[in-house]
Amino acid sequence: MAKPASGLSLLRTFSLTIAAIAVFFLIDTVLVRTEKAESRAAAARAYENGMRLMGQGRYVDAAGEFEDALALARENLTYTLALAQALLAADRLPKAEATLSDLLQRDGTGGAPNLAMARVLAKEGKFIDAVSYYHRAIYGRWTSDAARNRVQARSELVDFLVANHSTEGLLAELLPLQQEALGDLATQKKLAFAFIAAGSPARGAELFRDIVRREPQDPDGYAGLGEAEFARGNYRAARANFEAVLRLRPSDAASRQRLNLSNQVLALDPAQRGLSREEQYQRSLKILELAVASATECLASPMSATTRDLIDSANNILRKRTQPTRQVEAMDKNMQLADMIWQIRRSECGATSQTAIDLVLSRASQ
Amino acid sequence: MDELRQSENHLTLILSLLVGALVGLVVVAFILLTGRLAARMYPAGGAGWRRILVPTLGSLVTGYLLWRFFPSARGSGIPQTKAALFIQDGRITFRTVAGKFLCCSASLATGMALGREGPSVQIGAGLASVIARNAGLSSKQVKALVPVGCSAALAAAFNTPIAAVLFSLEEIMGDLNATVLGTAVLSSATSWMVLHLVLGDDPLFHVTGYRLINPWELADYAVLGIVGGLGSTVFVKLLLILRQRFAQLPRQTVWLQPVAGGLTVGIMGYFAPNVMGVGYSFVEQVLNGDVVLKTVVLLGVLKIIATSMCYSSGNAGGIFGPSLFIGAMMGGAVGSIAHTLFPSVTAGPGAYALVGMGTAFAGIVRTPLTSVIMIFEVTRDYTIIVPLMVSNLIAYFISSRFQKVPIYEALAEQDGVHLPTAEARAQAGRSQVAHAMREAPIILAADTPAYEAQERVKDSLLNAWPVVDQQGLYGMLRSAELEKAPVNGYAAKNVRDLLNEQSRNDPLHLESAHVHPDHTLSLALERMGSSGLRTLPVVSRANVRQLLGIVLLDDILDFFGVHQSADESETEE
Repeated sequence: MAKPASGLSLLRTFSLTIAAIAVFFLIDTVLVRTEKAESRAAAARAYENGMRLMGQGRYVDAAGEFEDALALARENLTYTLALAQALLAADRLPKAEATLSDLLQRDGTGGAPNLAMARVLAKEGKFIDAVSYYHRAIYGRWTSDAARNRVQARSELVDFLVANHSTEGLLAELLPLQQEALGDLATQKKLAFAFIAAGSPARGAELFRDIVRREPQDPDGYAGLGEAEFARGNYRAARANFEAVLRLRPSDAASRQRLNLSNQVLALDPAQRGLSREEQYQRSLKILELAVASATECLASPMSATTRDLIDSANNILRKRTQPTRQVEAMDKNMQLADMIWQIRRSECGATSQTAIDLVLSRASQ
Repeated sequence: MDELRQSENHLTLILSLLVGALVGLVVVAFILLTGRLAARMYPAGGAGWRRILVPTLGSLVTGYLLWRFFPSARGSGIPQTKAALFIQDGRITFRTVAGKFLCCSASLATGMALGREGPSVQIGAGLASVIARNAGLSSKQVKALVPVGCSAALAAAFNTPIAAVLFSLEEIMGDLNATVLGTAVLSSATSWMVLHLVLGDDPLFHVTGYRLINPWELADYAVLGIVGGLGSTVFVKLLLILRQRFAQLPRQTVWLQPVAGGLTVGIMGYFAPNVMGVGYSFVEQVLNGDVVLKTVVLLGVLKIIATSMCYSSGNAGGIFGPSLFIGAMMGGAVGSIAHTLFPSVTAGPGAYALVGMGTAFAGIVRTPLTSVIMIFEVTRDYTIIVPLMVSNLIAYFISSRFQKVPIYEALAEQDGVHLPTAEARAQAGRSQVAHAMREAPIILAADTPAYEAQERVKDSLLNAWPVVDQQGLYGMLRSAELEKAPVNGYAAKNVRDLLNEQSRNDPLHLESAHVHPDHTLSLALERMGSSGLRTLPVVSRANVRQLLGIVLLDDILDFFGVHQSADESETEE
């Protein structure tokens, strides 16, 4: 058993203990500093390796390097973001999402992590969440080159909306993007196409006209303008632009196909300017004939009574000759009947790829 | 200072703070040192031959040091701490502390598949013991400060301050109601604070969020409990068998035996580097779901063998950390299979690895409460509690069924040390005054004249009798006081007067001179010793003046099977 100590021995014990605390505090501080410095250096090396591997397209290996870097410098947001981006590129989406969730808990307003999360969610097909994160990225905090990054984020959002055929909200993204992206030809082209997809071909045409004015030898500008005019129903203007494309780039099969379609529409459409009444009437008969032929070909027999009646009526009209004085009235009836038969055909047989009759009837029904 | 010495409570509190701070800093230094040295000794991606050579040479050097200079620093440190606490009045020498620090640093830095928590506990307990003894505290106070050092050490080593306190009480003290709870909490908090001051708020394991996907998933955790229980049993039995075999080797080979562990871990490390050292970085990978079934199964098996070999051959290091590693591997394997079979209703393997850590710990160390709280502290996620409890308790039950003696007790027994088990302590707790008390044969009224009282008790074998007044028990009148009455001229006085005189002469004894029916018999013995009475009144807790009976020394001895006749006792007296 220890002997009772005097106050002096207690004082000495306290002094020694406190001195030991001070000494070990110093030792620990030195050890921690050394370890942190070494860890930081090793983490930086791993990060550089990871970036190099990313550049070589070795995303899985890069993710491994970034994980090593993060194990050494856990709080480093750059490494975390790099890891998430590598995981995204390597299609390891759940882990990328988990990594970004963790990162966003620490840096919820950062533009870059929000953009990366939006990309992950977009790839996972989570449409609403992805759009939300794109918005957070657009309005988030960017440490450098904020304007360009915001345009990039909004531009990606526009692409995502176009790819998902989401015209709702697309125009709302395009209008600010048009303001921000002025001067950038590639973005303008993308914008113009997006305006067409968003149901605003007039704005698209306007942008393409500007592009054509600035780059008269750019076939893409004419192709885009052709698409915009086509979408607006200006088939004559569309034809002129597709012809311009083929002059600059004769091998452009897509533009040739659009040119043919424009010519077919122009040859079929009774509403084209400068046509005589007789010509308009003949075109309406042609449309009715095409509609009946297409429907008879695809509809299974026996047809329903209604459909049978409509086709019988159409055949009667096609067999009879109408008086010139009643051709205007007959033309309207022909177009209505053709439209009804075409609608039945579409609902029963499914939509076909864009055809001249489809375009003409759609325009006539507007 | 002398005033402080007089106030034991204040002194203990101040020492708890100092011990907490010092132990925290020493353990942080220990961890950092072993980590930095290990990174240099066998760096990741280093040559394979190095992974064989370093542990082999390391074990050779530490084996010699342990044999020649620090024999008490061998092994984990937890059985040694318990032995010091229960057998050696809490005495752990500074030499043991220094040896543990040095040898464990070398051992862990050279890749032994052992843990750092057990050694930290012994270092912490040792420092507390050294400080307490140098401060001149009584052996009782020294013993009280040892668990304080343990909780400070574990709080720093594992960054889990609550689990550290629980571990000290549940495993080291074997009593969750121990009176050192307050000081253990204080030192644990101080140590944890120091840890954060030095290292920052960086948890030991970084894990992604845990969640129970479906209530049916609890069935998977039950399976994990079974696997964990069986795995724990295999580990403990293998370790004990190997240790027994090493103990049977000639004594001259003791210094060389650790090389067997070093060579084993080196050969394994050549093919699977993650089996070397503490292995927490790989555990973290598994916790984050980077699980390849074959790898985790292989590493789990290799770690069981490597740790058993390293420990049983006499290297310095603990089994606390390896338990967690093995548990994480078992959990990762079960989780991986469960997730493959039922992907829509199960969490990822990382969640199972996390629960597996607690499960193996509960199965190996047999501290179920500590294991639950420890994992909870690691994850800081409440939702993990229920699966953890299910899994832990199953593992605990299976392990208790197949391996009766808990590992630390079994290790101590192999060394010829018999530690008090939880069962023994529970047995002691069950021996209550109520089992040995009897009705008082003579009760004296306070107004009884002294001479009449002498007449009533002259044939009694008791040495004290209860005295009552209208309110109840007034005191215990000792035979010595009664016998002195005629000599001192008190024959005309009554019993109350004698008692008042007795209390004036010895004011302290009356406070301790009673017991309650639920008191333990050992406490009754203590009180008999402090009061000098062989007969104590048993009083109600609701009313301390309500006499329920008396308890005699002879009755207590009879209860424990030490039959002693009244005549014998009288003769001895």
